[in-house]
Formats: sequence, structure tokens, C-alpha cells
Amino acid sequence: MTDDQIERALFALPLEEPPADLHARILAATIHRPRLMFRAWEVWVIGTLVAVMVWLGYLVFSLPQASDRLARALAASLDQFGLQLGSGLALWILLGISTAVWISLISLPQSRRRATDH
Amino acid sequence: MEVPALTDDALIAAAVAGRNEAFGTLVERYERAVYHLAFRTLRDTEEAKDAAQEAFFKAYRALRTFRPGAKFSTWIFTITYHACCDRLARRKRYSNDELPDRADPGAGPAELAERTDTAVRLRAAIDDLPEKYRAVVTLFHLQGRQYEEIAAVLDLPMGTVKTHLFRAKELLRKALSDVVAEQGTP
Repeated sequence: MTDDQIERALFALPLEEPPADLHARILAATIHRPRLMFRAWEVWVIGTLVAVMVWLGYLVFSLPQASDRLARALAASLDQFGLQLGSGLALWILLGISTAVWISLISLPQSRRRATDH
Repeated sequence: MEVPALTDDALIAAAVAGRNEAFGTLVERYERAVYHLAFRTLRDTEEAKDAAQEAFFKAYRALRTFRPGAKFSTWIFTITYHACCDRLARRKRYSNDELPDRADPGAGPAELAERTDTAVRLRAAIDDLPEKYRAVVTLFHLQGRQYEEIAAVLDLPMGTVKTHLFRAKELLRKALSDVVAEQGTP
């Protein structure tokens, strides 16, 4: 066979048809892939917060009379600011309720990927 | 009036903006060529399917990093070729006992008889080429890619691409002449 014949035969060779299920497989692995509930960074943040809380809890409850000391420290700091538990209770309750209402009104921004799903 | 097809860049922009069907159109546009490159490189249908799926998955995940102005075809072929190279390297790491080379079982009598047809003989000859020549022939002759794009996909200098093409053609000519000579022998 000559060079020319080889060239012509090569250029005339049709591409094989891809298997019938290939398209569906690719789409299933890409655009139809189910989204994770959390993104990787969200998992890290939540995991770190939980770990810190567990660690603090362990510290508080593993020390001798830790809860007593914590309560005493809290009371002392309240005294320092002139807010006796008895007289300032109403103020603290009010502050707590308003904070809860404020938090409930916050709408956190949706992650961009999930927002564009539909 | 026929609606002009969207360019690859427009489809990528739409896909990045969250329009999944735009990526579906890109898949439709390139799946055949991507599968073909994978199949010619790996010589195994199942592995070629896996490599093509992996290439599109990687492209989909990294779509935001795609450089505007670059060619999507070069990018997806590069990802595909790297996926194939990884698979070939993995295949080599296993012993023959653990993972038989399903890709090259050797020609049986039936297959030899089939090779009388030029196209079939040519395909068989391409399959028998060394991997580096196979990829170049696939991209240049079968998919009509330019030297520059092939050089970018295979990460080779353009001169090497041309040399590989020349040597591949020499090997093909020799292989096809041998088959003709065998058929002529009583």
C-alpha cells in the first residue's frame, strides 16, 4: 500500500459508535449526580464546633467541683457589673428573648450550588 | 430558519451559571470523540467507558477553573488521555495473574478471516500500534485534530507529534502489506 492509500483509508475510517449506555452513565455521574446535603467546608466547620463543645464539656465536668466553680465565677462577674441575679433577672430574660427573636429572623444565604439546582 | 448552535464557550458559561442542560449538550457534542480516544488508547470497551465517564466527571467538577478562550476539546481530550494513561499504568502494575490484559487477547481464526475487509484490517493494525502512536493517529486521522491541539493534549512538542505520525504510518503500511502478502500465500 502507498502512503496516499494509507492516508485515504485512515481519513475514511469512521469512528465507532459509543456504547448505548455511555451517555446516560456520563449524565448520571455529572449533572444528575445527587447533591450532598453539606459541602466539604460546612462539614469541617460543624465538625470543629462540635469537637470544641465536646472538649469544653469534658473540661468542665472532669474538673473537681467544676460546675460549682463555674457558677461562682459567673455570679462574681455578674456582681462585678452591678447586676445582681435577683434584681437583674427581668433584664436578662428580656435580653434572651430579644436575642432569640433576632436569631429567628436571620435568613442565612443559601449556598450558590444548591440555589442554582432548580 | 435554523437556530445557530451555541459555541462551547457559551455552553460552558451557561453550565457554570447552573444550567445543567448546557453541560448535557457538551457531553452530546464530545462523548463520541472522547470515547473513541479512550477506546483506541485502552483497547477495552469497559475501561474506555469508565475513562470517558471519569473525564467528563473531572471536567464537570473543574468547569469553573476552565480558562475562557481555551478550547474545550483540547481540555477534555487532555483529561481523557491522562485518565487513560493512569489506567494503563495501573494495568502494568498488576501481574498478569491478577489482571489479565483483556485488551489484547490475540486474533482468533474468525477474526483473521474478518480482517480481509480494509477498514477492519486497518482498525486491527491501529490497535496493534504502540500506545504513543495510537493516540496520535486517533487524534489526527480519525478525529481530524490539528498538530497544535494534539501536541497540547499529549504534552509533546509538535515535531514529535509529526514524527510519531510518520512512524505510525510506516508501521501501518508494513502491517497491511504483511496481511496482503499472507493472504496471497497459498
